[in-house]
Amino acid sequence: MKIGIPRGLYFYVYYPMWYGFFESLGHDMVLSVPTNKTILNLGVSNAVDDICISVKVYHGHVKYLLDKKDVDYVFVPRVVSEDKYKYTCSKLAAMPDLIKSVFSKDADRILSVNMYMNQGRKPLFDAFGEIGRKLGASVKNVKKAVKEAVIYQEKATNCLRNGHNFIEVVRNIRNLDDLLDKPVKERQYKVALAGFPYDIYDSYMNGDVIKRLEEADVRVVVTDMLNPKVYKKYTKYMIKDLFWHQANVAAKGGMYYMDSPDIDGVITISSFNCGIGAIYEKLLDLYSKETGKPLMHIVVDEQTGDAGLVTRIEAFIDLIRVKKGDGLVAS
Amino acid sequence: MRRKATYIFPRMGYSYAAFESFFQILGYDVITPDPSNSQTLKRGVSNSPEGMCFPFKILLGQFMKVLEENPDKYFKIVSLESYGPCRFGYYSPLYSKILKDRGLNNFEIVNVEGIYPPWYKGIPRFFKKLIKLVGWHAPWTGIRAFVIAGWKVYAIEELERKLYHLIPREKITGSTEKAFKRAFERIHHAPNKVRAVKKILAEELERMDSVEHVEDLDLPKIGLVGEAYMLMDYSNNLEIEKKLAYMGVDVDRSLWVTNWTLDRIIRAKKHLNHMSEVNKGYLDFFIGGDGQESVMNTILYKQKGFDGVIQVQPFGCLPETAAKQILSKVSKDYDIPVLSLSFDEQTGEAGFITRLEAFVDMIKERKLSKSGTREKKSTAVVSH
Repeated sequence: MKIGIPRGLYFYVYYPMWYGFFESLGHDMVLSVPTNKTILNLGVSNAVDDICISVKVYHGHVKYLLDKKDVDYVFVPRVVSEDKYKYTCSKLAAMPDLIKSVFSKDADRILSVNMYMNQGRKPLFDAFGEIGRKLGASVKNVKKAVKEAVIYQEKATNCLRNGHNFIEVVRNIRNLDDLLDKPVKERQYKVALAGFPYDIYDSYMNGDVIKRLEEADVRVVVTDMLNPKVYKKYTKYMIKDLFWHQANVAAKGGMYYMDSPDIDGVITISSFNCGIGAIYEKLLDLYSKETGKPLMHIVVDEQTGDAGLVTRIEAFIDLIRVKKGDGLVAS
Repeated sequence: MRRKATYIFPRMGYSYAAFESFFQILGYDVITPDPSNSQTLKRGVSNSPEGMCFPFKILLGQFMKVLEENPDKYFKIVSLESYGPCRFGYYSPLYSKILKDRGLNNFEIVNVEGIYPPWYKGIPRFFKKLIKLVGWHAPWTGIRAFVIAGWKVYAIEELERKLYHLIPREKITGSTEKAFKRAFERIHHAPNKVRAVKKILAEELERMDSVEHVEDLDLPKIGLVGEAYMLMDYSNNLEIEKKLAYMGVDVDRSLWVTNWTLDRIIRAKKHLNHMSEVNKGYLDFFIGGDGQESVMNTILYKQKGFDGVIQVQPFGCLPETAAKQILSKVSKDYDIPVLSLSFDEQTGEAGFITRLEAFVDMIKERKLSKSGTREKKSTAVVSH
């Protein structure tokens, strides 16, 4: 069977796991194309108008896959929680319901299941077992597939910890072991990106900020490369943990990067009307006042023009250069 | 040295009178913030993060105004919150960070939160916070304060229901409102005894009933669903209920302080089961806030024979935005018009009234065509 996987939201976190699972069961996977103008328009015209842009884009990806007649199922999981007592935002928790309400004609082709991540094997076996039943796989094969899936996710996590970003992981999904051994290129400056993976890695939406920074000889690190253990201590500054796992990663990871001496600046990327973005951005704002590390917020929406963004990134790099005493780039 | 603290609490509609007496019974000074107006909004909007939800900005502005105007007093800000997918759960840490950043230090936050997991930490934390709120009193004083405040809330809500019932039926415009104002003041300043509150309520309900009006009118019925704080506070939603009532509509609000407290705290399990049953196929997963309630109440309103539903939400509210998308499907499937109104600091009154009038006209027209006095027109679904 052909399973469609929309390239949006939790694709940028759990794709290796899904890849491992469906691959092991012997199903073909159809990824939607990276976000482009068509996908964005599909999303914007189908989703409700004041929802955040990442969710709109996701609607576009799902519609793109539903329009392909040879795709049997489109995988729209409901990622409920990503850690013990850490959940996802309301819009993401309602995701299959949102998708089904808009594309009600194709509701049968949407494969959805409630997923509880990082809480041991049992919830995973339950969730994937349900999918396996729907796809007609035997219990034995599902068990084997889940084990495979977990191995893939672990390998991907190791690659991230070694400093490779998720785009590289997706590109090298077939040989993650090679990627793990590949050294990461060091550059003159080091800038950290804080935010949700689906905002940071969606290069069409954020004007390809990673590439632009790399062109300016900046090594980019992302908050999802950090081991959660290193930033545990920042809960005290935040008074209490945020309810949303990804927001915790963005806020605490950002604070950790602000405290590390080898990082020259932090950029947050969030989508317009995200809601949760407002909270971690404010926390980082207040924290950067204490540490004095340069901080820039990029908010992405469907109207983002490239030119304005390029100017802002250039200005940010100039700021870092001046701060380090390297002078401005001659233009 | 312990300083004498003055309490401030989030003001919500007319129920502030009850909360005031709650703290008075416990023997504390209390200041009620002003209803949201341009002064408080300006403070709130300029100091909160841009993408933050509207209730946060309103409350921050209200608290800030009180703190700035009384620099010599020490305040305890009461903040109700929970731990859930709604951003409401992270209000108080942000208040304290932002207020301190603005150089205001004469406050302390008392947050009353529900019990959330892990249980072995949650339950002691809940009681610690409760003691911090009530202070060291004899338990019966605390219970008495809760009971009397509860009765006052109930009395005010009864009066409000009467008010919105009578406005479209009254003969002399404004006479009911006058009676309500008097009744509210009497409840507000009633002696803190259950018997006295009961007596005043009975008297005033009778007095409001004696306002000249026509009882048996068949008016179009509109239900209000949406986010609790926006719905319950008349200064946030630009008095939507009163406006609708004056347009000649029987208006009903789905969330009141009493049924909110009952559904979320006292009989939470029953409420959740009922909700997942009604919402089956639409939104049968917990998303926090009042998103699921909005969907449920819309369906229930249809079953009760209402002619239309208005969803009131602050701009960018997480659960309500999700609900809004699902409501458009509910509206189609159940054939009930739904109007979504999102409020933010830029909402102008004139445009708001025009949209309400257009919606009410549409409802009236539909009602007429359904009852057969007009030829049938195609279904109109208004959604913004």
